[in-house]
Amino acid sequence: MRDIAVVQLMVIFVAGMAGSFHCVGMCGGFACALGRAPGDDRLATTIRHLLYNTGRVVSYGFLGALAGILGGTLLVADGQGGVAIVGQRVLATMAGVLMIVMALQLLGYLQRLHAPASGFIGHSVTGSLREVLRAPGLPAPLAFGVFNGFLPCPLVYAFVALAAATADPIHGALLMLAFGLGTFPAMLITGGMGTWLQYRWRRRGVRLAGLFILVLGVITLARGTLPMDFHGHDHLHTPGTVLQEVHRH
Amino acid sequence: MTAQETTALCGHCGLPVGRRGTRQTIDQEEHAFCCYGCSLAFQVRRGNHAEADSTWLLIRLGVGAFLAMNIKLFSLLIYTGTFEEADAHLLPFVHVLLWALATPMLVILGWPFARDAWQEGRRGQLTSNTLMTLGVAAAYVYSSLAVVQGGGQVYFDTVALLLVLFTLGRLLEANARARAVRDLAPMLEAERLWATRLRPDGTEERVRVRDVLPGMRLRVRPGERIPVDGVVLEGCSHADESILTGEPTPVSKKPGSAGLSGSINQEGHLTLEATVSGTASHWARICRTVRLALAQRSPTQRLTDRVAGIFVPIVLVLAAVAVFYWMAHVPFETALFTGLAVLVVACPCALGLAAPLATTLGIGRLIQYGVLVRGAEVMERLPRIKVVAFDKTGTLTVGKVRLRSIESDGIGADELLCRIAGLEQGSEHPLARATLQAARERSLAPVAVSDIRAIPGRGVIGQCGDEVIAAGTGALAKDLEWQIPPTLVTRLSRLEASGQTIVHVGWNGRLRGILAFEDEVLGEAAETVRQLQRQGLHCVLLTGDLPAAAARVADSVGIDSWNARLSPDQKREAVERLTSQWGPVLMVGDGLNDGPVLASASVGVAVGSATDLARETADITLPRHGLQLLPWTLTWGKRVRRTVGTNLMWAFGYNGIALVMAAVGYLSPIWAAAIMAGSSLLVIGNSMRLESFSPGVPSTCAQPKDEDAEPSGAGGTRYPLAGRRTPSADAVAPVAAGGRGSR
Repeated sequence: MRDIAVVQLMVIFVAGMAGSFHCVGMCGGFACALGRAPGDDRLATTIRHLLYNTGRVVSYGFLGALAGILGGTLLVADGQGGVAIVGQRVLATMAGVLMIVMALQLLGYLQRLHAPASGFIGHSVTGSLREVLRAPGLPAPLAFGVFNGFLPCPLVYAFVALAAATADPIHGALLMLAFGLGTFPAMLITGGMGTWLQYRWRRRGVRLAGLFILVLGVITLARGTLPMDFHGHDHLHTPGTVLQEVHRH
Repeated sequence: MTAQETTALCGHCGLPVGRRGTRQTIDQEEHAFCCYGCSLAFQVRRGNHAEADSTWLLIRLGVGAFLAMNIKLFSLLIYTGTFEEADAHLLPFVHVLLWALATPMLVILGWPFARDAWQEGRRGQLTSNTLMTLGVAAAYVYSSLAVVQGGGQVYFDTVALLLVLFTLGRLLEANARARAVRDLAPMLEAERLWATRLRPDGTEERVRVRDVLPGMRLRVRPGERIPVDGVVLEGCSHADESILTGEPTPVSKKPGSAGLSGSINQEGHLTLEATVSGTASHWARICRTVRLALAQRSPTQRLTDRVAGIFVPIVLVLAAVAVFYWMAHVPFETALFTGLAVLVVACPCALGLAAPLATTLGIGRLIQYGVLVRGAEVMERLPRIKVVAFDKTGTLTVGKVRLRSIESDGIGADELLCRIAGLEQGSEHPLARATLQAARERSLAPVAVSDIRAIPGRGVIGQCGDEVIAAGTGALAKDLEWQIPPTLVTRLSRLEASGQTIVHVGWNGRLRGILAFEDEVLGEAAETVRQLQRQGLHCVLLTGDLPAAAARVADSVGIDSWNARLSPDQKREAVERLTSQWGPVLMVGDGLNDGPVLASASVGVAVGSATDLARETADITLPRHGLQLLPWTLTWGKRVRRTVGTNLMWAFGYNGIALVMAAVGYLSPIWAAAIMAGSSLLVIGNSMRLESFSPGVPSTCAQPKDEDAEPSGAGGTRYPLAGRRTPSADAVAPVAAGGRGSR
């Protein structure tokens, strides 16, 4: 395997876990709607939700690969790294801004921005998706997860931007898979067990997640906007290395 | 294939189905679809009715996408060299895994394309489905052979992504199309909708509009369309009749008022008794006309269909040539994929969409303003118009004569009017009615007149007290050897020259007064003519009326060339003359008695409500009072034509360039599929720009409210009678001023 920093993927995984507190708000509704299997069979319910989340994570991975390919075609244009650095900075800035917006939402600010983001896709599509939710059988939750993965979500966009900045499909896919796997536990719990956490604990979790993503966002943004010399490096940076530094600090 | 099949409209997007359409029975109802995407989108959108179908479709798409994404991710690992060197022994297993993932995916997503391609192939047609199926099958078979032989490259990811891209592309395209023509939706579904029937025992039942019979009582809730024509029995509300009359102002409805089918009930509940059956209502008839109009294929469309028809075989040949040529220069699989890219990029979807989408949008937008166009062909003829010929009566004028002025000698105008009113009481002659109307408006009581006799073609004579009083033409005055007072001589000749209709009134051997009548020119006529002339069109007036009257109307609306005293045949000849002299002629008439003339013109336009449809033979029907929509309609026609032009240029140019790029090996099949879908979406986007174009639709077509109201805006203000007042105030009296205040 190529040398992709495991540490970086772990940071992303944690970011996914933190971010999934947001997902519980938006996608969690869907996960709850997926509900339990007929007859309240616990195993069947778990399988339904596993399939749903598998579909979702594969979609994320695919998005990451696509973003990596796209980043690769756009960024490695001149072979000198000139365009690449500018492009990566733009992407890092985008990702950072999106993360900060998300974090502020998790902390209870900017609530009004929520509506346009979720109303992005036509109602007819979401309406039809609801029918998929209710369908019996194993393919339905899988299909639903796949579509869910493509539903617009600022947090996903932020990590897709990071994936694009890697300019490599495998790297991008792994990054998004790590993020997706990070969201796996919370979503599985929300969907499978409903109100597992007490409201007060959920509130605290959401705040904590917000703070974590805020810090991550600010660092990513700084990497995108501050002059290179500020960091004392002159080689090509990926936001991934930013994350490694985050971890070291 | 029957004629009926070729004129059907797609059940999803409403565009003409064309020769390549498919038929499917869904929910025991037969539907026609123009493409696989539309049948897909139709089933997805149905949701409530065919849940199982639509959901199953989405699930298939989702599972297919899941398999495809997995295939792509594993393939990426192969491409980036993960299974080289130390891990090379894993490669065959990964290939088998990919094969295992790709095969169900091929069945799930590829089946509909293969089925359609097969059915079309049996009818001897080669379409984009053929290209698609061939391309995917080639890649799949080649990769499967590689797996079986245990060597070489596999391209299951290409198979997978092509299928997903095609399916998604079709779905998006179908939705975009349906959105583009959604204005037309109410025009296509009249009889298919549901109405609420009120049973005699007071319970409600839902019935199809086409099953509604005369005499049925129907309940119309706020926001619903009135399903059939009928009479309101209970309830008060307003109805938006704009789709029928082009007038956006809601019309009040109360017990006894007529409910127009197709209009939208606004705030109150109405109970209606149907006067016609559901299939015979105005709305149903308009819908049928619109459906026929849309299904009619314009010459451009027929041409592009023919081109698309020969395009596919050419592409097949080109793809084969590309494969054989490149085989000599590059490895076989590269050559194969060049051929594949050619197949995929050449799908002539955009070409098939270029003309019908814009034309349908064009017709749909016009209908929103009550302008009914009878076919795509008419839309194509509109921009070529060079001359606009108007009929006079009822088109440029109100179509009803009014008493314009009274000139009298030795008697007051009112007194004179009282006498003539008495004389003409009970007469049905238009001039008599106009006289009585004028008397009523001035609250004058007619004087008793006895022994009234009509002299055909001359006038009327009666006994008023001990005087014999008469009113009629100049010939009557001559017959009776009336003296003409010097005060009236000049006025008489002036009025005669002005083109107004003159009635002489006299008794005791002397002319006592002159009544001048005229048919009022429509308020919007002059502005309409001015706008048409600004568009560079030559305007002429063709009328059966007298030259003086023609000259008067022509002069007041700004037309400088007119032909008077024309019989219908002569009008037709005049139109033919104009056509040979200037070019295509658009003739505007009232559509009632000038049918042959309208038919002889390049485009015949009838001014009248769309509800008078049964009588019309015109290519375009303008709503009543809708003359001012004419310049806009012409501009719109040009705009639609331009859009069709750019669409065609785009579809040909873009597909042509992409085809060349694919043939020389610059395009991978996946990019080719993306470009192909992009081309269709661009054509849709370009056509949708029509939606935002609305060059000052006159808002004044929104005035008359009740059935018998006279055309608006033609009140006394336009003819400032005060300005025409002569010094002898007692002799000349304004008549019509303010007289139209009845509303």
